Amino acid sequence: MSELPDWQIEIDQGAGRWQADVEGAETLEALRSLEVRALGKAGEIPALMKRIPQIPPLDRKAFGQAVNTLQARVAAAIELRRQVLVDGLIAAELTDATFDPTVGALPLKLGHPHPLSTVQADIEAIFSSMGFHVLDYPEIESEFDNFEALNIPGWHPAREMQDTFWLDSGHLLRTHTSAGQVRAMHEFPAPFRAIFPGKVFRYEATDASHEHTFHQVEGLMIDRKVSVGHLLDSMRTLLSAILQRQVEIRLRPGYFPFVEPGFELDIRCQVCAGEGCSACKRRGWLELLPCGLVHPNVLRAGGLDPTQWQGWAFGLGLSRLVMMRYGVPDVRLLMGGDLRFLSQF
Amino acid sequence: MLVSWRWLSQFVDTRGVDPLQFAGKFTTTVAEIDDVVQWGFGLRDVLVADVLAVTPHPNADKLRLATVDLGGRTVQVVCGAPDLRVGLRVPFVPPGVTLPSGITVRDGEVRGVASPGMLASEKDLGLSDENAGLLALDGCDAPAGTPLHEAIELEDVLYDVDNKAITHRPDLWGLYGVAREVAAMLDKPLKLFDLSLTLGAQLPLAIRVDAPDACPRYVCARVANVVVQPAPVNARLLLRRLGTRPISNLVDATNLVMLETGNPLHAFDARFLRGNAITVRRAQPHETLTTLDGQLRHLQAHDCVICDAEGPVALAGIMGGANSEIRPDTTEVVLEAANFDAPTIRRTAMRLGLRSESSARFEKSLDPVLADVAARRFLKLCQTWNPQAKIVSHLADIGPFTPEAKPLSVIRTTASYLRERLGVTAAELSDAWLDACLTRLEFQVARAGDALAVTIPSFRATKDVKIAEDLIEELGRHYGYDNIRSEAPQVAARPPHTPPLKLLERQVRNTLVHAGLTEQVLYGFDNEDARARLGLHEPAELTRVAVRNPIASAHTHMRRNLLPNLLAVAEAGLVQGDDGQPARKGLNIGVFEIGRVFVPERSDDRGLPPVLGNGTEADVAAYTAGMEGEMLRGVLDARLGTQPLPLQPVRLGLVFAERLGGGAEGAKLVFPAPEVTHRLLQQAIATLQHLLKWLGKVPLALETAGPAASAGAPDAQPSWRSQLGFDLVTADGETVGYVAALHPRVRIALDQPAQAVFLELDLAGLERAPAFKRVNR
Repeated sequence: MSELPDWQIEIDQGAGRWQADVEGAETLEALRSLEVRALGKAGEIPALMKRIPQIPPLDRKAFGQAVNTLQARVAAAIELRRQVLVDGLIAAELTDATFDPTVGALPLKLGHPHPLSTVQADIEAIFSSMGFHVLDYPEIESEFDNFEALNIPGWHPAREMQDTFWLDSGHLLRTHTSAGQVRAMHEFPAPFRAIFPGKVFRYEATDASHEHTFHQVEGLMIDRKVSVGHLLDSMRTLLSAILQRQVEIRLRPGYFPFVEPGFELDIRCQVCAGEGCSACKRRGWLELLPCGLVHPNVLRAGGLDPTQWQGWAFGLGLSRLVMMRYGVPDVRLLMGGDLRFLSQF
Repeated sequence: MLVSWRWLSQFVDTRGVDPLQFAGKFTTTVAEIDDVVQWGFGLRDVLVADVLAVTPHPNADKLRLATVDLGGRTVQVVCGAPDLRVGLRVPFVPPGVTLPSGITVRDGEVRGVASPGMLASEKDLGLSDENAGLLALDGCDAPAGTPLHEAIELEDVLYDVDNKAITHRPDLWGLYGVAREVAAMLDKPLKLFDLSLTLGAQLPLAIRVDAPDACPRYVCARVANVVVQPAPVNARLLLRRLGTRPISNLVDATNLVMLETGNPLHAFDARFLRGNAITVRRAQPHETLTTLDGQLRHLQAHDCVICDAEGPVALAGIMGGANSEIRPDTTEVVLEAANFDAPTIRRTAMRLGLRSESSARFEKSLDPVLADVAARRFLKLCQTWNPQAKIVSHLADIGPFTPEAKPLSVIRTTASYLRERLGVTAAELSDAWLDACLTRLEFQVARAGDALAVTIPSFRATKDVKIAEDLIEELGRHYGYDNIRSEAPQVAARPPHTPPLKLLERQVRNTLVHAGLTEQVLYGFDNEDARARLGLHEPAELTRVAVRNPIASAHTHMRRNLLPNLLAVAEAGLVQGDDGQPARKGLNIGVFEIGRVFVPERSDDRGLPPVLGNGTEADVAAYTAGMEGEMLRGVLDARLGTQPLPLQPVRLGLVFAERLGGGAEGAKLVFPAPEVTHRLLQQAIATLQHLLKWLGKVPLALETAGPAASAGAPDAQPSWRSQLGFDLVTADGETVGYVAALHPRVRIALDQPAQAVFLELDLAGLERAPAFKRVNR
């Protein structure tokens, strides 16, 4: 038994050193750099082959085999070590308990639609689905559209009841969306049905439930042989869709010069189911909107022959509906522009 | 207006009807009842007592001892009322009784003297707030000891009818009109007034109506031998619970008759009518009158006044003059029961800020027939309360109105038309029921098969009922709207039309919200305070629409640009925080508004039907063919007088604002690093181009001096626009708006160190912008 040649001792020692290095690699990155150092193109183990010329000729074959064996063993050790490290990382990721959901957030920001717009969009969608045009008419109006055409002549108390903003030009800020009724009749051939939402203006002092500027939705349907029975059916259907529940309605006499007969429409109080409570002032009914059959004079102003065409109309308080839906206690919040309020919608 | 069920029951048989239950039906048939009040209940243990003797209290100066007769027994009680006197008839509350006011009367001693019971005031009994003295039971004939509720009229139910629900119903401003409706609802007869009178020979007054348009009818009579004293207790309590203060028998009689008939009355002391003459005329320039409330009123030519030989003694239909009012020693009165023109009364009452029970009624256009009825009711009542009183005149009746001169109007229609509008069949609402319903409401119905000729009673004809549609309401409310079958309208299925601008608005809104901005809906008024503070103004030659009657000193003009109001909101956000972010350095706020602005340039919209704008005379004649009276006049006036409306373009306004750190010079002189401004501008431009991509439009070009602007574009050089910015130009070369940094002069006026950029553009211009650029082939 001859002594081991020097190169053999060196390779055996190297194998032990590499094994220790591989087992000492604590991260995938350390292991990778070790791999490059050991086995890469310019790595230390492939570099051993360059020593062939210095190896005695008879040993050269054995030397080559020994280097190859070393290379395979180190590669296998690295692979094994990599598996161990990967297993450890997977286990660590799966058992991570350091996440705190209350800390930090992505800088993703969504804006806020105005609640008036949201409710208006809902109403527009409902009416649109039932064949109603969705129209938009001017806020500065003529006396004609706002009053005369609606059967409200100059001396009429209604002109004072809804106190009006007048402009230096002799025009006015429309006091109701009804100002669009005769515009719509001239714009569309009968029969048609339409809503026109928008801002309206009243010359009145503001408080929690009064604003000089607020929003309404006018509804108008023009057709032949329109009756109170049709109005009842339409209002029940539409209000049930808007309020997202089956509503019970009732009509009682109400006076508005542009409808005849005219009604106040009440809905059954949902808080007390009609028993009477503070929300409905013990009446069991909540006043919701004025409506009626279009007055023949309004049809005439709209260029329609009242013996051929009739219609129904209503005026829904959009601001009030928003307050009802979200429980907003003060109407002034709606147009006050306060971001602390609006950013909650 | 308050309605007494007890009083009403004198005209209609309401036995078997529970007024509390009936109120709901009244609301759906006649007018809304705001509240139902029970009055004068819980007093069944109270007795009528006659004061027999009054002696001083041995231990108290302000108290006295009253010996009262309770019918068969006498009792001595302590009483503090100043009006206590022998012969007075008052309510006596026995010991142990708890009154509605909460007082329990004890059988005890008051200052060492036994007092087994109490003499009561109105307030003690819960009948009113009156507590100055005892409730004097004048005119109560029941023997002493009778239970009070049997001796006088107590236990009433009051309907508080919403005044706004009866503005169109002059007939309901008197109890009798309400009773008529109730009679119709119950299908019971309505008791007629007894209007017979014994009249004197001649009126020693010369009456002239020189303003017949203001005073269609003036009924007048003179009564002598009257004695001014309190009215009977029942009348006083009736007035009290209806909200009117009792004054004296004469004044109370005018008020009671007004409440009963709806027609206001006025009584003058005949001594103070100078020259024995009455003239109804318009006021003369610089004339004045001191009204009953002691106010000196400066009159104008439009006002209608009642004058004696020397000048005004009453403001017609509103309030009497102090110079001729009824006094304690009045013995002869001149009664006025007139009818006045509603607009005349309303205008004067509004101008003087003097709305009385009288003007409230005349404003509603009262039936002139009522004037005579009311005069007779007063004279009758006056004689009942003053048996010695003598009507020393005849009933003068002056003015253009006479029942013969104004025949009743007739509506011609058909029963089938009325049914069709209601949506009921002849089986549901029969001819017989229809005729009976209208007849109960005192319409006269003449029928020939389906055809109807319906005569309108005078009390519904002044403005309330004119056309067949008015009859639909009469029938519908009495038939019961709840009884009408609801029926789906049969309509043609057509896709609805939505204007392109409206669709664009929706897309813009949704896109900007998704891009992180908060939507605003702001006032159409500019805020002059904020504009002044921040130095926000358009170039001087660009005027704004001015409001003639601003609600506040800050709201004198309509906005012509969105930015000023939007900037104020962003500024407030920088102070208050936004979306849970505290207000500190680096806070970035994005807000936008889609809304109309107002530019005082003539649009092509006059707010008139096209036919009135550009139709031929023949077109106009065809259009107005069915119109009459006021309506026709109004339409023709509008055709001549209406000016084009101002431009009202819909704009998008957008602001990005960022709060800066404070500086050595204080909040106001912090200058942002250029990178901050650049970043904000890039934020605005990126948002805009993102929006355009979403809308499917070619990106807008950013130009430093843009070409011709669209009609709805924002003003090019307002004070708030810095040179650092760009006009926004469509692919068609139209300037539709701009994006720019805030002008440094405005910025340093902000409450906070901040930088802001903004964008304002015309949505119609954007809507017109092309979706793609031309490609050369």
